[in-house]
Amino acid sequence: MTLRRLFAFSSLVFLIVLAFSPVKNALRPYRALQRQFRLLGISRATSAKAREMYSSRPIAIEQIWLPELNDHVDRCTTCHLGVADAAMTGAPQPFRTHPPTFHTPQDIQRFGCTACHGGEGLATDQADAHGTSPDATTPIFPTDFVEAGCGRCHDADAVRDAPTLSSGRALMAKSNCFACHKARGHEDFRADAPPLDTLPMKTGAEWLRRWLTDPKAVDANATMPNFQLTGDDIKALSHYLFGRTVPPQLQHAIDLAGAEPPGDSARGKTLFAESRCISCHTVDGKGNGSAPELGKIASRASRGWLVAFVRDPHAFYPQTRMPRYSFTDADVRDIVAWFEDELRDFDAPANILVPLRVNQTFAEKGEKLFKSAGCFACHGGMKEGERFGPDLYGIGEKKATSLDFGKRTDLKRTLPAWLEAKISTPRSFATGLKMPTFAFDAAQKRAIVTALLAIPSTPVPDAYHSAPPQQAAIVPAGAVGEIMSRYRCLSCHQIGSRGGDISTAPLTFEGSKVNRDWLVRYLAVPYSIRPIIAERMPVLKVSKEEAALLADAIAMIYVDPSTPDDPFAGRPASDRDTAEGERLYTTFGCRSCHIIGKNGGYYGPPLTETHARLKPGWVFRFLQNPQRWRADVRCPNYGMTDTDALRLTAYLETLAEAPAPPVPGAGKEAVK
Amino acid sequence: MTVGEWVRNTSVYRSVIRHGIAPTNRNRSLIIFENLFLHVHPVKVREKTLRFTHTFWLGGITLATTIILVATGILLMFYYHPSVPQAYRDMKELQYVVDNGVFLRNLHRWAAHLMVFSAFLHMLRVFYHRAYRPPRQFNWVVGVVLLLLTLLLSYTGYLLPWDQLAFWGVSVGTNMAKQAPLVGERVRFFLLGGNIVSENALLRFYVLHCVVLPVALLLLISVHIWRVRKDGGVQGPPDDERRTP
Repeated sequence: MTLRRLFAFSSLVFLIVLAFSPVKNALRPYRALQRQFRLLGISRATSAKAREMYSSRPIAIEQIWLPELNDHVDRCTTCHLGVADAAMTGAPQPFRTHPPTFHTPQDIQRFGCTACHGGEGLATDQADAHGTSPDATTPIFPTDFVEAGCGRCHDADAVRDAPTLSSGRALMAKSNCFACHKARGHEDFRADAPPLDTLPMKTGAEWLRRWLTDPKAVDANATMPNFQLTGDDIKALSHYLFGRTVPPQLQHAIDLAGAEPPGDSARGKTLFAESRCISCHTVDGKGNGSAPELGKIASRASRGWLVAFVRDPHAFYPQTRMPRYSFTDADVRDIVAWFEDELRDFDAPANILVPLRVNQTFAEKGEKLFKSAGCFACHGGMKEGERFGPDLYGIGEKKATSLDFGKRTDLKRTLPAWLEAKISTPRSFATGLKMPTFAFDAAQKRAIVTALLAIPSTPVPDAYHSAPPQQAAIVPAGAVGEIMSRYRCLSCHQIGSRGGDISTAPLTFEGSKVNRDWLVRYLAVPYSIRPIIAERMPVLKVSKEEAALLADAIAMIYVDPSTPDDPFAGRPASDRDTAEGERLYTTFGCRSCHIIGKNGGYYGPPLTETHARLKPGWVFRFLQNPQRWRADVRCPNYGMTDTDALRLTAYLETLAEAPAPPVPGAGKEAVK
Repeated sequence: MTVGEWVRNTSVYRSVIRHGIAPTNRNRSLIIFENLFLHVHPVKVREKTLRFTHTFWLGGITLATTIILVATGILLMFYYHPSVPQAYRDMKELQYVVDNGVFLRNLHRWAAHLMVFSAFLHMLRVFYHRAYRPPRQFNWVVGVVLLLLTLLLSYTGYLLPWDQLAFWGVSVGTNMAKQAPLVGERVRFFLLGGNIVSENALLRFYVLHCVVLPVALLLLISVHIWRVRKDGGVQGPPDDERRTP
């Protein structure tokens, strides 16, 4: 009898235990949320039909299925019910409408949610979907790094509407991350740090000691990170570097230059200002900052080295972005004389430029260190197979549980926190780590972590992959190519997908834009086209012949076939109505940015010399769509009709007044 | 004539249930003899064998877990694809979408643990009660094979979720098999269907787990229980135990 009672009792217990699961199933949080959404929708509905739609909404799991994205399924919309529902603007989460972006709301069905945001799309409860536990496989990207999602599909260095990601990618390239680390798409990366062969004749042991201790303290523009070398390491490295052989022809050039008589410092100062060196360099922090600070240059390099270098930078440093100016020998002497007079470290000890007497034992130790510390990764000699840094491939999808936090017990156990600590203080994780310390500020760290999180372990399928459109970058060979290389046009200007980011004038279709004769004059004596921009074209002292050759080549090669030679051909005469064009100029408010005569704003280029500078076909196309050639042009697109654009072009073409001759060196950036 | 009598007189009822309802010895015997599922069991058992302390019900518990495992296993098979891109994802689908999916999976898992545990205890019980002695020596061997089948089922099921635990568990296990002298390499290749834990291994383990091993297990369980009956019913504590102080 007891046995039967026991049996009855245990059966009852089992039944209750079994009933627990269906009850739990029925009480899943998303069901309550969907009921809540139904009520919210009814309260917000503006029509009977909408109210009916909300009230008849079934309680069910919602999902977005993406067969072409590895059969991806996102069930985020099970709770985030209002992402594409305009009526839910400003509603409490999780019902709020997705803020408008480049892809939302129209592309939600095409991309789902986790493709951009991370997180577990299959999950139907919050903790698992957002990946808040430390062992989550794909946690959601924190808001700070949300642009990492853009980078999963978009390979371009600069991704539209993703400034953090873009600056992170640019910063990684600039900081030479890929010199040591392998990364997909950067296999051919070569760091452009200067070769060190001429160092024994360039600088002194004291300066090198300061530099190796902390490069940023010596030069705020330095790209070289801090290797946290000990005194002994610095000593060994110095002996090795000063023990290197200077190539004979450079040694000869430096010796000769050093023996020249001193130049005219006052003339050097003028030359320095009018050549616009600070379009790249800085002097006491003033200038573009993409090239070394020159404020204390005379305490950094010897006179002979400076003179020889400025005369022919490419012989010293083949991959430099610095143009070879057509200075005369006396010009360079004068400029360096000014450096010696004014741009020196007046607090420096007298021996700052005294070279080191090399001790062979130390030098051998230094050579080993040069290899083991990884100096060779940037200063020449690195080959693809030798990259010793961990492969960055898939770093954005590393699981937090598989990361080595080492000594850093203070960190949150998440991938973004780990990455941020790695790029802030790489050596705090363990002893014996090689990675140097970069002086990134908070915004830069955020940008780099975003760019790192954007590196997936498996590339997205082709249907979702967006590679940057590769524009042909034709750089002619022969005489023209040599001139372009000599003046390093591509250090500032862009041609197709190649080139620097200093100039705002790409050369890709320059031939269709400017008149050949104007270009010849401009190349000889460039002046400021947009006064608001501090970086002006340097006065390279291009000779008449070189200028003519370049202008001819540009007019011939860099042509946009869709730009008409004569936009008025075949159009009615009324399209040339200049009076109407002048009226349009006022109507569209062009004067708030452009100057004609003496009136107008100075954000855009003055239009006084339009006829001489610009081709009418280009002006016409530009007015139709100012962002046609560069997406970041600020001139608004007014959606002008062809007639309006032509009339405005006709009016601008009447502006033929000769430009005021530029006053050399009178720019506001003039130094001292 | 009551409705019950009318039903019992229909030809359909009589073709299915051929014995009377009176609680006579004959009818009780017929219930057992005429039923495929019950006839492995003896018609009569001694009352003392039903006492809990007699066998601790360990064989029964093991059989009950087997039935739970077959039932839940069949349900799980509806939601599972033995392929590399699908297998782990199906675990997530069970967790996130299938109604009571987590319960189903956990039931299968806990029942499997319990089955191994109770089978071990069952074996110990049989050993300490000297039930391996003649005439039960053959059934002891059948039992040992059943234990091995249970362990193999447990091991093959371990790989199926295709998560890290599964992958490394099976990597370690098959590497242990590799250490066997002479045939080690071949055994490993045979188990994995290749040299690494891959989709071939997954498919092989799936077929073993869902077809080969369960069929063998059920056949041997039948033999096992049938032999229990043929060997004179379950043997509890040996009689001499009570005699020795």
